[in-house]
Amino acid sequence: MTFGRIRTSLLVAFGAALASLVILYWRYGADTEVSGEKIVIASVIGLATGSLYALSATGLVVVYTTTGMFNFAHGGIGVFCAFVYWEIVENADGLGLPPGLGLAVVVLLVAPLLGILIDLILMRRLRTAPLVVQLMVTVGLMVFLLTLANQIWQADQIRGVKPLIDRAEGFNIGISRVPYYRFANLVIAGVIAVFLRILLFRTRTGVAMRAVVDNRELTSLTGARPGLLSGFAWALGSSMAALAGILVAPDIEFNPANLNSLMLIVAISAAAFGQVRSLPLTVVGGLVIGLLESHYQQWISLGPDFTFANRAIAPIVLFLVVLALPQARLSVGRVSTNLRPIERTTRVWEGAFGAVALVVLAYVLAKGWFHFGVWDPGEWSSTGLNKGTSAMVLALIGLSLVPLTGWAGQVNFAPLAFAGFGAFLWLRLGLWFGLPDTGGTGNLVWLPLIGLLCAPLGALVAVFAARLSGLYLALSSLAFALIMANVVFPHPQVLPRVHTFQSLYLDVGFARQDFDTRFSFFMLLIVMFALGMFALIVLRRSRFGRRWVAMQDSQAAAATVGVNVVWTKVVVYATSASMAGMAGVFWATSLSSVDIRSFDLLAGLTIVLLMAAAGMSFPVAGLFLSFQVVFEGLAERLEQTENVEFLVWLLKDFFAKFGPGLLAIGMVVNQRGAIFEMGKGFAPILPWRRDAREELAAENARKRVTEVGGLGLTEPFTSEAIIALDTQLGIVDDVTPTAGYHHGVSRA
Amino acid sequence: MTPPLLELRGVRAGYGIIDVLHGVDLILEPGTVLALLGPNGAGKSTTLAVASGQIQPSGGQLLIGGREVNGAKPDALARAGVCLVPEGRGIFPNLTVAENVRMMTFSGTSYSDVSDRAYELFPRLGERRKQLAGTLSGGEQQMLAMARAMATNPALLMLDELSMGLAPIIVEELYGQVAQLAAGGLSILIVEQFAQTVLGVADSAAIMLHGRVTRTGPPAEIAEELTAAYLGIESGGPS
Repeated sequence: MTFGRIRTSLLVAFGAALASLVILYWRYGADTEVSGEKIVIASVIGLATGSLYALSATGLVVVYTTTGMFNFAHGGIGVFCAFVYWEIVENADGLGLPPGLGLAVVVLLVAPLLGILIDLILMRRLRTAPLVVQLMVTVGLMVFLLTLANQIWQADQIRGVKPLIDRAEGFNIGISRVPYYRFANLVIAGVIAVFLRILLFRTRTGVAMRAVVDNRELTSLTGARPGLLSGFAWALGSSMAALAGILVAPDIEFNPANLNSLMLIVAISAAAFGQVRSLPLTVVGGLVIGLLESHYQQWISLGPDFTFANRAIAPIVLFLVVLALPQARLSVGRVSTNLRPIERTTRVWEGAFGAVALVVLAYVLAKGWFHFGVWDPGEWSSTGLNKGTSAMVLALIGLSLVPLTGWAGQVNFAPLAFAGFGAFLWLRLGLWFGLPDTGGTGNLVWLPLIGLLCAPLGALVAVFAARLSGLYLALSSLAFALIMANVVFPHPQVLPRVHTFQSLYLDVGFARQDFDTRFSFFMLLIVMFALGMFALIVLRRSRFGRRWVAMQDSQAAAATVGVNVVWTKVVVYATSASMAGMAGVFWATSLSSVDIRSFDLLAGLTIVLLMAAAGMSFPVAGLFLSFQVVFEGLAERLEQTENVEFLVWLLKDFFAKFGPGLLAIGMVVNQRGAIFEMGKGFAPILPWRRDAREELAAENARKRVTEVGGLGLTEPFTSEAIIALDTQLGIVDDVTPTAGYHHGVSRA
Repeated sequence: MTPPLLELRGVRAGYGIIDVLHGVDLILEPGTVLALLGPNGAGKSTTLAVASGQIQPSGGQLLIGGREVNGAKPDALARAGVCLVPEGRGIFPNLTVAENVRMMTFSGTSYSDVSDRAYELFPRLGERRKQLAGTLSGGEQQMLAMARAMATNPALLMLDELSMGLAPIIVEELYGQVAQLAAGGLSILIVEQFAQTVLGVADSAAIMLHGRVTRTGPPAEIAEELTAAYLGIESGGPS
C-alpha cells in the first residue's frame, strides 16, 4: 500500500471529522459568539492537551514498531506510574520529593524497570503467539495494573497532582489567561517526538529496533541482540506512558479508571492516525484529537441527553481512521504450534448430555441438596441466587463470543454493545408495539424476534469488519463499543434510567410459566445457557462451523476452496449479534435498569478476557465468567467462620479482584485456555473417550523415550551399529558415515 | 595441524518434537568451498540453522575453529565472524537500503567501510540507497543480502539457496562474486538444491539425505551421483 493512499484516506477521515463538527455547530451551536480570541484560546488549549495525547500515543507506536506488540496496557502503565509519582511527590505521608526529582525517579527509573520486567516475564514468550493471545495478555496486564492501582490507592480519597509549573503563572490572550505549564507540555511533547524520530531513524540502535520487527532471526544473524533491543523498547515505551500520565494528571479527575480510559483510548486513536507506525502522523493525530475536543467543548452543546458525547470524540476519530485505511489482504494461515495430533470436536450427544447435566447440577446445588461431608451449604439465599443470576447473564453474553472470536477468529471487544442493542429493542418492542407488556414484564416467545432484529446490526458491523483484519479489527470493535457506550446508550430515549425491566414469563397460549422469583429466573438462565451451549456444539459440527474455523485458519485457503469470506463473516457476526442481543434481554432484566456504568469499558473487557483465558473456542467457557462471583460468594460464606481471615482475603480481595487480569496474563504459557488443559486431564476418565486415553499413553511413551537419553546420545552408536539398525528397520538410504560417529565424544 | 573451520559431529536437531537431523557429520576446512547438496527436506537448511546458532542441537557437537560452540546464540556467533545469508532474501524489507547496510555494522566493521564496500561491489544498491529494500527487484534484494557477506569480512560464510527464484544471468553474476570471495581465501559453505552452478565453484561437495550426510567427495564425483541421490537411490546400496 502506498503512503499517498494512506494520506488521502487520513485527509478524508479528518475532513469528515471537521465537517461533522461544523454541522453540529450549525445545528447545536452553544450560545456563544464566535470571536477570534475564543478561537485562539480553544486552539491553544486543544494543542496543549493534544500534545500530551501525542506523547502518550508515540509511546504506543514505539513499542509497536520495535516489538510488533500492540500494548493495551500502555494506559495502565501510565496510570500506575502517575500514582507512584503522586505517592512520592504529592502524598502528605509520602517521601515528599520535589516534583522535578520525583518526575525523574518515575520516568527514568520506575517506568523503565516496569517495562523491562514486562518484557522479560511476559512479552518475550509471546513473539510467535497468535494475535488474539497477544492482545488478551496485554489487556489482562492493563486490568491487573488498574486493579493494583485501585487496591493501593483506594478511590475513597480525593487526590490531585499539581502541574510542574504553578498554575497561576501564565499570560493573557485578551481577557483569558493561558498558564505556562500548558506550553511546557507542548514543548516537552515536541522535544520527545523529535528525539524519537532521530533515535529510530538516525541511530544504529534505532534502526536495529525497527529491524527486529521486520525479521527477528535475521537481526540476530547480523550480530545485533534482539532481546536487548526489545527490552530497551519496552523501557522507552513505559517511560513515555509514565511521562504522559504525570503531565496529563493535573487536568483531569485523578483516578485510575478515568486516567486509563483517557490515556489508552486517545493514545490508540492518535496512533491509528499514523497506522501505529508513523511517528509524525501520530503526533498530528494527537493534536487533531486535542483540537477537536477543545473546539467541541467551546462551540457545541448537545444538551443533557448527550453528556458523555465528548468522550466519544477519540473513538469516533479511531473509527473513521480505521475505516479509511486500505482494505486488508486475505491472511494466509500459519502452522499453529499448539495443536494436538488429532483435534476432536464435541459430539452432539455429548453436548446434549452436558447440557442436561448442567441444568440438573445447578438445580441440585441451588436447592442445597448437596452435602460436602462436614459442610452443608444449604439452600442458596437470595444474595446467592442474585450472584448466580449475574454470573449466568455474563455467561450468556460470553457465549456470543464463541463463534465470532473462538471459531472465526474475529476479535470483538464489543459484546456489551450488542447486548445493549438487544435490551434496547426489547424495550422498544414493548413501548411501541406492546409486544412484551409495558412495565417491563415480557413474554419470552418474542425473544427469537430480538435475535432476528439484532442480526442486521451484526451484519452491518461485519460489512465494516470485512475490510479489516487482525489488530485494526480489534481496534474498530473497541471504538464501536465506546461510541455505543458514550453516545447511544446514555440517551434517555434509548435506555431510560428508571426501573424498566422487571420480570419475564413464557406464555405460549395454552400454558404459562412465570419467572418472577429469584430461583425461577436463575434456572431460566441456566436452561438458556444449556440450550445455547448445545446449539453451538451442533453449529460447530455444521458446515457453518467448519467454514468459520477454516476462515480463521487461512482466509486465502478458504477462498480458494470456494468459501465466500465476506459472506461467511456476515453470517458469523449476525449469529454472534443475535446471541448477544438475546442475552442482553436477560442482562437488562437482571439489572432492572441499565445506565452508562453498565457499559463500562472494563466490564466488557472482563467478559472477553475471561472467555479468552478459559478458551474462547469452547462454549462451556461461558461458565468461567462466574469466576468472580463464585470466589466472592465463597468468601461471604466463610466470613462468618473464625480463623480463616487469610482465606477470605485470598478469595475476596485477591482472586476475585486480580483473577481476570492474572488469568489472561496466564495465557502466556497456556495459549489455548484453561478448558483445553483441563479437558486433556479430564477426558481420559470418561468411559467412551478411548482416543483421549490413547493420546495420553502416546504422550507418556514419548516422554519415556527422551528420558532414556535420546537413542545413542549418552552412548553414541558406532557406524556399524547404525547400519545394522537401518537394515533391521528397512531404511535403505544409509551408507557408512564419512566422518564416523566418534566414541565417547557426544554430550549427554 | 589447523582444526577444521567448521565441524559438525553427529549433530541431531529438529523443530519441537519433529527431528530433522539424525546425526550430521560435516567438515569444512579453512579456505575451502564446500557445497552441501540434497533434495527438498533433506535437512540442509536446518544444518545451516544449527551451524549459525539459530537452532540448538539436541545432540552431537558443533565446533567452530576447533572450539565447541553448542548453545551459542546466533548474534554471538555473528559477531564472532559467522555469516549466514538465509534462504529467501536475507534483508529487512521495511528498512531502506542504507539502513540495511547500517545493520551490517554489528559484526564490528565501521559504517563507512561497510557502505563504501557494498556500494562499490554493487553500484545498483548505491543508486537505490533511500529506497525501501522490500521494493527492490529479487536480484537486487539478493545482492543486498550478499553485500553483508562481502562487506563485513566474515571468517565463515554460509549461503542458503542463493539462486532461488532468480534469473540465470543474475545467479551467474552472484556466483561470480562467490568465486571471488573464495579466491580471497574465505571459507564458504553453500547449500543448494540445484547443483550445476555451485559445483563449479566448490572444492568439495556433500550429499544430504533424510537428515544425514551420506556422501562427501570431489565435486566431479558427487555430480555423477546426484541424480541417483535425488531419486532416493544410494550408489552401492540396495536399489
